[in-house]
Parts: sequence; structure tokens; C-alpha cells
Amino acid sequence: MGMFTESIEVSRAANGMPLRVKWRGREYRLVAEPERWFERRKWWDENLRIPRGIGAGMADYEMWRLQLAPATGGGAPQSVDVSFDPQSERWRLVRIHVELARSA
Amino acid sequence: MSFTHLNVTSSFSAHYGVSHPAVLAAAAKAQGAHMLALTDRDGLYGAVKHVAACRDEGITPILGVNLAVLDDSGQSTGRIILLARGHSNGAGYAALCRTITLANQASRGSIGLTQRQIAHRAADGNLMVLVGGESDAARALAQGRYAQARALLANWKHHIGRMLRVEITTHLSAPGARYSLGEAGKMLRYADELGLRAVLSNAVRYADPDGAVTADLLDSARALHQLKDLHSFQPNGQGWLKSPQEMQQLAAAISRATERSWKHRLLKETEATARFAALDPLTDLGWKQPVIPEATVLGLHRPAMQELTERVYSAVPKLIPNEDPSLVEERLALELGTINRLDFAGYFLTVAETVKIITGMGVRVAARGSGASSLVNHLLGISQVNPLQHDLVFERFLSETRTTLPDIDIDVESARRHEIYRKIFTSFGEERVSLMSMQNAYRARGAVRDAGTALGIEETQIDEIAKQLWRFSASSFREALAEKPELAALASNITEDSQLDILIDATERLDRLPRHISMHPCGVILSDATLLNRTPVQPSGIGLPMSQFDKHDMDLMGLIKLDVLGVRMQSAIAYTLEEIARIHGDKPAVARAGGHQETGYINEDGHIELSKVPLDDAATFALIRSTHTLGCFQIESPGQRELVGKLAPREFNDLIIDISLFRPGPMQSNMVKPYLEHRHGFAPARYLHRDFVPALAETHGVTVFHEQVLRIIDTLTDCGLGMADVYRRHLGNPEKEPIVENIVRTKAAEKGYTQEVIDKTWEVLAGFGSFGFCKAHGAAFAVPTYHSAWLKAHHPEAFLAGIWEHDPGMYPKRLLVSEARRMGVPILPLDINRSTGHYRVERIFEYAQPAAPVVPRAPGSQRPGRYGIRLAFRDIHQMSESEVERLVAGQPYDSLADIRDRAGLSRRTYQNLAALGAFDSLLTGTTRADTIAHTQSMARSTLPAKYQPGPGQLTFDLGQIEPIKNTGNILEPAEVVRTELDLMHLDATEHLISSYQKLLSHLPITQAIELLHLRNGAEVLVAGVRVATQTPPMRGGKRVVFISIDDGTGCIDATFFDDTQQRTGPLLFSTRMLLIHGVTRRTGPRGISLQALNAWDLHQPETLPHAGYLDNASRPQPSYRPKLGNAIPGKESVAELAQRMNAEGLDQRGA
Repeated sequence: MGMFTESIEVSRAANGMPLRVKWRGREYRLVAEPERWFERRKWWDENLRIPRGIGAGMADYEMWRLQLAPATGGGAPQSVDVSFDPQSERWRLVRIHVELARSA
Repeated sequence: MSFTHLNVTSSFSAHYGVSHPAVLAAAAKAQGAHMLALTDRDGLYGAVKHVAACRDEGITPILGVNLAVLDDSGQSTGRIILLARGHSNGAGYAALCRTITLANQASRGSIGLTQRQIAHRAADGNLMVLVGGESDAARALAQGRYAQARALLANWKHHIGRMLRVEITTHLSAPGARYSLGEAGKMLRYADELGLRAVLSNAVRYADPDGAVTADLLDSARALHQLKDLHSFQPNGQGWLKSPQEMQQLAAAISRATERSWKHRLLKETEATARFAALDPLTDLGWKQPVIPEATVLGLHRPAMQELTERVYSAVPKLIPNEDPSLVEERLALELGTINRLDFAGYFLTVAETVKIITGMGVRVAARGSGASSLVNHLLGISQVNPLQHDLVFERFLSETRTTLPDIDIDVESARRHEIYRKIFTSFGEERVSLMSMQNAYRARGAVRDAGTALGIEETQIDEIAKQLWRFSASSFREALAEKPELAALASNITEDSQLDILIDATERLDRLPRHISMHPCGVILSDATLLNRTPVQPSGIGLPMSQFDKHDMDLMGLIKLDVLGVRMQSAIAYTLEEIARIHGDKPAVARAGGHQETGYINEDGHIELSKVPLDDAATFALIRSTHTLGCFQIESPGQRELVGKLAPREFNDLIIDISLFRPGPMQSNMVKPYLEHRHGFAPARYLHRDFVPALAETHGVTVFHEQVLRIIDTLTDCGLGMADVYRRHLGNPEKEPIVENIVRTKAAEKGYTQEVIDKTWEVLAGFGSFGFCKAHGAAFAVPTYHSAWLKAHHPEAFLAGIWEHDPGMYPKRLLVSEARRMGVPILPLDINRSTGHYRVERIFEYAQPAAPVVPRAPGSQRPGRYGIRLAFRDIHQMSESEVERLVAGQPYDSLADIRDRAGLSRRTYQNLAALGAFDSLLTGTTRADTIAHTQSMARSTLPAKYQPGPGQLTFDLGQIEPIKNTGNILEPAEVVRTELDLMHLDATEHLISSYQKLLSHLPITQAIELLHLRNGAEVLVAGVRVATQTPPMRGGKRVVFISIDDGTGCIDATFFDDTQQRTGPLLFSTRMLLIHGVTRRTGPRGISLQALNAWDLHQPETLPHAGYLDNASRPQPSYRPKLGNAIPGKESVAELAQRMNAEGLDQRGA
């Protein structure tokens, strides 16, 4: 399993569920229901300020595990973990699950 | 679509919950909730706020508690939630209260209940038990022990049965963490397998996601760990009050992980449980319905109203024989009529019963506050003030426009307060009485400490910051940093060190959050035998049970609260009266000593009944006008002495006015100056309309009292005084004041007042706002003020002994030594055979004629010098109470050896007593220096057991064979004084300043006593010991520092403005012995203070000015000079006085 962060674009449905992904210039579709969790974020290491009213996303990262397949053309599905930062409203790619990609 | 949160903790779960109940209720309402639970940890601390907030929001409250489950050894195995059954006529709520009380008994050392106790409590169906994410089962799951988790749930089922619900919670945390989706799924599956019903919750700790950071900080503060080292607390920040949509999504996610069909069932069961617990505040909680003790407890054999009426009328001939019967009749008709219609007779009888219990113990009692407005209170013996005599308005206390019970506050002797509480408990029965609690919230200092610890900031750095934070709230810390010069260094650090920046944010988050409850300083709750069904109680610091509710909860919960406040002055007065009777012995002797012409108030045994002393004693007012009021209740502070000097009180009503004026409102709105000008005839009193003359005549047209506002409003509108009090309360309220203005203007116009009169009068009323003072408060306060001054004038020695004994004032004890000198009362040294554990008045037989005292004495009273005050053993450094007891029990002693043998003193105390000269009276031919040398050289005082004399064995008189070496050494006076200061914090032998006289001999030093004779604007040098320093908070402007010094002849109050502060630098706060250069400012016929121009530290003789300093052209000049010969002070003086008064923090009286 690789671990890094890389920019990725995720578009969501109205209920917040990811729908489509654009990554390294390619469009992907989701081939399984995505799983969501919230991982502890160490704001005391990462933030310079924590004023009252700063809002969501200080104590955790929103994480999604997505099973991706290229929207067009062929290619094996891949499992990736992405995170969303509500402060910057940006998505980052956190992990690519190599084992799953290989076994699929 | 609605969802009810059943697991919600508020900020009243100290060190756990983040949001105030009102915030939670508002958030729930905004999400469309119909119901909301509050389940604080260990108690109902936030429950009443929750119910009130739910009622405001129009949603239904649910109450429960989050309790620890204890194993047999008292260890916590987890936590569960209990919910009270609703619509059960209070049965569910009563079960909840009693269960919480039981859990808080903490007999095993921790708060909580065993599973068996919980089962027992839930058995009758009044409590629902939620076992969820904090339970033992969830703990086992988190550790991967699935079979055990299932078994634990089965065990809960076995114990609790039908009242059990499994609580399913997921914070969508990372797989394997607490509150993960997997955990929730497993819990739900086990519940299904065991046939248990399950409900959904979100284990809420904050109203919105922003609170997660604060929750982390609280977790850290609770665990006393820095955040870095926290592992077991919230897994992420998802514990907020999620919307119904979000909760449905969570239910869907859980059902995807289990069975799709379970989503609906889970949500349905949640709402069913909510309906079970939905409370009706009226029938379940007795919302706003006052409950008084049962008639039998009050000893009533007839209806309360009848009893009250008869008691009141029968007291008239005894207590107010001289009042006009028709006035009394009219007043009692008004008061009793109101009490009857409000159905409060039982309440008055309850208070009267309590006062009877207290006075029955021989304790001094005084009612304070607006209760003094009531003649019924006076006739019941609750209040000493006769409202007819002082023209007090009953409606300010009680009228039909208010539905809540009036506050009747009772002052008692502080030293006997706990004894009184215990007596009230036993008299009414323990099931009917509880102490009230108070919430202690984070203040800036505590917040910065806990925030700093959480962030792992170095302790020394936190300390430094915490020290700076004592004046302002943490939430204004950032502004303070920008504003205050002494924080400049810190401010620049913050820009350099990013850690400090986050520290301030964290501090602001913690600031004001509740930390713990403690015993309220005076609140006692009285009720009937159902009290413990209506409030949970827990042990207080003094062992007596204390309610988990605070003063804001009382009226709402129908709980009657009495404020029984310990007042040191009452103890001091009681002690004074005891001493007078003890030393003089009988009535004629007391009358002679005190110079009393009348003797009706002196009992045959010499006890004075202060309540019978007339309030018009000329000698007492002469003393007050002299401003030598140290030790007198309410009028001893520098600011008050200044005001008393200006006001020059001549009668009791002047004292009421003085006390009422000495508040921030009147001071800042400059009511004092016009009042004084009119009073002294510098300007004629002016009235906006002749109709207002009756209301305002006593204060020369200036509005000082609430009562006057009521009368003006009533005059303008004919609304009645009761309604006028309602309008008065609305003044200053931005929403309601315009309504009042409209009514007043319309009605006044109808009554034919001109537009100009209406405009100007409204200006006065609006400006008055919440400023004024209730005259009844002033009158109630003025009684002990007058009594203390009366005692000081007539029985100065006994009074001073009372002040020494109970220390009621604001000044250090050593200042009282100076006062004793000014009063001509000798301070008698410690004496091994004459001193006791108490400060006693002692007859002096071989006295020298002392100089005439500065402090006036009543004409005809005992001349000074015949009695002195003997220093007591009680305030000696490192001498324990039991040592004092043993020493006194063994008196008299005839030699040092005798003391060593029998007194059982520690070696250190023995040496200290020698150093203080306590053994001087035993010496023959040797000096104190010899004794000290002797005790210092002695071996350990106690012999090993085998060398100690056995029973019956005679001891040698060691004093004879233990020769003290006669060296002829004599101690220097300065050395003696230093020892006294070190060991007793007193300079009894001579004033501390005496030893500096040589140092200052080249300078023309002015003494405090001489200042008064100087003209305004005279330049002087004064020297003395600092006795008080006050720094009123700056409001963006420049700081003013007030320093009072004492030079043995009196107090000198000096004002340091900015330029002088620059000149003097750090010594302003750190130096004890000061030389001050200043200019006199006359503040009244008997008042003078200094505007300081420079100051020096007497301990740095090299820095002191040279001879001829006052002629040196380069000495500092005043930046402004008061106008010479102007007896009435300028505007600055009043403003300063207000600031000073604020800083003195004396204004703790509720309006």
C-alpha cells in the first residue's frame, strides 16, 4: 500500500456521496458503494490558530475509500483513499491500495 | 421527519460537554426536533436550564443522567444512561433524582452505581437504561473481545429486563476505533440476537462541529495530559448534534453494515423511547410551583394566613408602640392583602421559623435587602428595620405583579454559620433541607493553565502568562494584549512564537465553561418532605448535602431558598457585646464605661441589646464625621471615608444615603456632586415638577433610590407602585424600555404634564437605568454600620477587640495597631500567663496617662488608658490551634521549666514565644535577649521516654537549676519590631516607621494627622507603610494607581497618575516602606488626600532625596492643580472616587 498525497478532483451528489473522479487527467467512475470515515486530525500540530467558530474539519479528516474504474476505455478497477478538507474544500489522494488493484 | 437525541451532554458536564443547554435546545429546534434530552454526567447540573430552554423553544424536554457503573471494588467498568419516565406525575423524575443522589454518595470513593443498584432502581419502570458506546460491552468490543461483549449485553438484559435499550452510536471513526461503523453494527447485531430493543444516538458533546476542538481540550484537562499523549478520548470530531437527515444517513450506513430493514426499526424505537421519557414540566417537575414545609413542621394549628395575621398584629404594641395606629393598619392591610392573594403566608412563616431557630441559638441576625421594606418582616422579627420610620416602599419588595417568591436574605455571625446550617437541618428534618450549590466556571487563569497543559507549553511560560491574566477574562485577552503596556512583551512574543497564538485561542474556548460545583456561600433550600424527589443532592465541603441546582434554578423548580450569609462584622459585634458584659459585669458599670445616659437597652448582666439602641446618638455621628471609621461596617474604605467626609452624616437617613451613593452607578453618573452641593446649600435643590417634591425632598431633588423612581413613575402614570416596580425593572432593557417610555409619556401627557417636564423626567428615569439603589438595602446595611460606629464611640476597647478577633474589614491587622494607638487603646504584649487564644480586653492598673486620642470617644465614656487589648496566641506563626489550647489549659506557669514541662509546645513555638517576649513576665534580673539566647541554645525540649519522670515521681524544679546567663544585652527596638512582624505580622511595640525616623531626619516629613490642617494644594513629603494598593481596570485610558500608607498617626491616600507612575517605575507595586512627595487635595471638611508626584523606597536610602528637596526647582510639579480654596472637589475627584470604589470591590450588594 502506497501512502502519499496528491491532488484529485471528486464531484459529489447532493447527499454528499462521491459520484465521479478526475485524477491525473483521466475521468473515473465508481464501481462500488464508497465507504466513508473520519480520521483523527492532530490540529494541535497542524494549526496555528483555532479560533472559536472556525468550523468543521479541525478534529478530523473526511476520508472516502473509492473503487474506481476509468470512465471510458478499459482498465482494471483500483481502490483509493481520498480525503476532503472542508477548510480548503480540496480533495487529496491519500492511498492507493496496491493489493486490491493487483488482485482485481 | 424528526429525530430525537437521547444522549446529549451539555457544558454542565464539567470537563466533558461543550455547549450550554440553551445553545443545544436552539440547535435542536432549528433542525425541526420536537424533543431533546439532556443526559449530563453524574448529575442534573444543567437540567433546569435545559427544561427552561426547551420551553422557550417550544420543544419537549427529556431528562436523564450519564452514570458510571462500578464493580464491587468501586472501579468503573463503563458508563450508561438513565432516562426518567415522563408523564408519570413526577415518579420518573423522582426516581432519577434519588438515583443520582445515591450515586453521588461515593461511599466507595467514586461516583456511580453497581449494576445491581441500577437494576434495583430501574425495576419499577420509572427509569429507562441505555447501554451503549461507553458501556462495558462497547469496551470489550473495542478490544476485539466479541464473545465477551455479547455476554455483557446478555448480562445487562438479565439484570434490567424490559427497561433496557441498547444504544447504537457511530461517529464513523476509522475502522477499529471507538464509535466506528463496525462497532455500531456489531452492537446492533448482538441486540437483535438477544431480542433487545435498540435506539440510535450520537453521544453528543457539542452543538456543532466547531465544538470538537473544545472537547479535545476538555478531554485533556480531565485527564491532566497533554493532547499529544491522549489516546483514549474522542476518536474524531463527529459528536455534535447532527440533523435528522444526518442521523437518518447514519442509520442507513449502520443498516447497510447489518440488515437493510433495521434502519426503520432503529429510528422508530428511538422515537418510542423519547416519548416514554418526554416530560411535562408542570406535572413531572412541579415547574414554578413553590413548595413550603408542611404546616406541622412550622408548628401551625390554623391556616397559615390566619397565623401570620395574628402573629403580626400581636407584635405591634411591643415593636412599634409609637407608630400612628391608622398608618400601621393601612400598611398591614396592604402587605397582608398582597401576601394573602399571592398565597405566600407559609413562606413568611417559614422564614420567621428559621430566624427563630437562629436567634434561639443566641446568634445575631439581621435581614438585608429589600425584605427590609416590609413591616410584616419587621414584626415577625426577620428584619430589624422599621419600614415606616424610613419611608420604605413595600412594593419594591413584593407586589401582585410578581409571581416568584421574594428574596429574604439573613445575615448571621460568620463564625457560627455552619453551626446554624446544622441546626436548620435538624430542626426542619434532613429530608426537607439542602444547601444550595453554585457553578464555578473557568476564569482566565485556570483556562490558560489548562489550555497550556493541553498544548504542552512549558510550565514556566504558562505561569508567566497566567500571572498577567488576573484582571480580564480570557475572551478579552487578545484585546488586552493590544491595549495594556505591561503585556507588551508578551504580545511581541506571540507574534514570534506561534504556540502562544494557539494558546490564546484555546484559552478563549475554555473560558467561562463550568468547572465544578461548590457550596454556595449562603443559600439554604427549605422544602417539604418531598425535597429529595425534586433535587439530587451530593455531599458539600462541610459534609451537609448540597443540591445540584444553583440559584437560577430555584424559582423554576419551586424551591425556596434562604440566603443565610455569614457576616464577620456580626461576629465582631457579638464578640464586642460579650466583652463589654464580661469586663464591666453589670448594668451600672456598663453605663458608666460607655457614657450612656439612657440605660433601657442594657440588661442587668451588662449585655447591651443593640436593637433597642436609638438611632440618633450624637456621639456616633460625631465619630463618623471625623472619618476615623476604620473597622466600621461599610464605611471604612478609603473611598468611603472620603465620601463620609464630604457628606458629613448627621442622622441615620444620611447613612442610608451615604451607603446608597457609594456605588458605581451614582458615582459614575455624577449624582454625588449635585447631591452634595444641594445638601451643603451651595446650590438650591431643583425639582422638575412640584409633584415630585415628596419623593425627592430627602435627597434634595437628586434621584438616588429605587423607591423614588417608583414614586415618580406612579406620579406620572397612576399605575400603582407595584406596576411602577415592574417598569423600573425594564429600564435599561433595550427591548422593554421603549414600551415603558411609551406608557409613561402617554399617561403623563393625559394627566396634563407639559412636554418639557415629561422629556426631562424621562431623561432622569432612563439615565437612572439600573443604577440606583434600593433604599431598603441601604437601610438594612446602615444598621450594622451605625451599630459598629456606636460601639466604637462608646466602647472602643471592646470594639477593637471584636475587630481583632474576627477581622471583618479590608485592612491588614497591623493597621489596627495604628488605629489602636489613635484610639488611645494600649496594645498589651503577649504574656505567657495573661494572653489566651482570643483578643481580650484587660484592665490596666498601673497605666500612664496617654495622650488624648485622635479618634473621638463618646462624651462621658471611659477615659483612655484604663483598658487595653491583650495580644492573643492565635495568630502566631507556626503555632497550632492545639498548642494554643494546651498552653492556655496549663496556665498559670511559674517558670520557663514549668512551661517546658507542662505546656506541650513544639521547640519552635517555644523559641518564638521567647522571641516575642511572652516569657518576659517570668524574668528576674535577666533580659528578653538572654531568654532568647537561652531557648536557642537549649537541647531538644522533650526528653526520651526513659528519662521522663514516671507517674507519681516528683520532678525537679528545673527552672532553679537551669541558670539563664545574664549578659546584659538589650534588644534594639527595630529588632523587636522585626520579630513581631515576622511572627505575628504586627508591629505592636512601636510603629514600623519609627525605625526609619533617623533616615528621614533631614527631610520635612508631614504626618497623616497634620495633613488635615493643611490648605489645599500644599506640597508635602509623607512616609509610611503601604496598607492598600488599588488599580482600577483601565478602560483604554490611562491607569490610575491608589496607594494608602499608614504612618502611625493615620492613613494617607495617595493617587498616582500616569506621569508619576513613569517617574516611580516598579517600586509602585513592590515596595513596602514608602516616602511620597505629593500635593494635598482637599476632598471635604474632614477629607484630604494626596496627588503623588514622586515616591521612593525607604529600603534604598541612597536613592532618597537630599535636604532641601521641596525647594529644589527641578522637583516634579503637579500636571494640574486643583483650584485653591474650592471645598467642593472637581469632576475628576468624583470619577476617581468611583474608580477607587470599583477597585475596592466593595460593592457586592445586589440591586
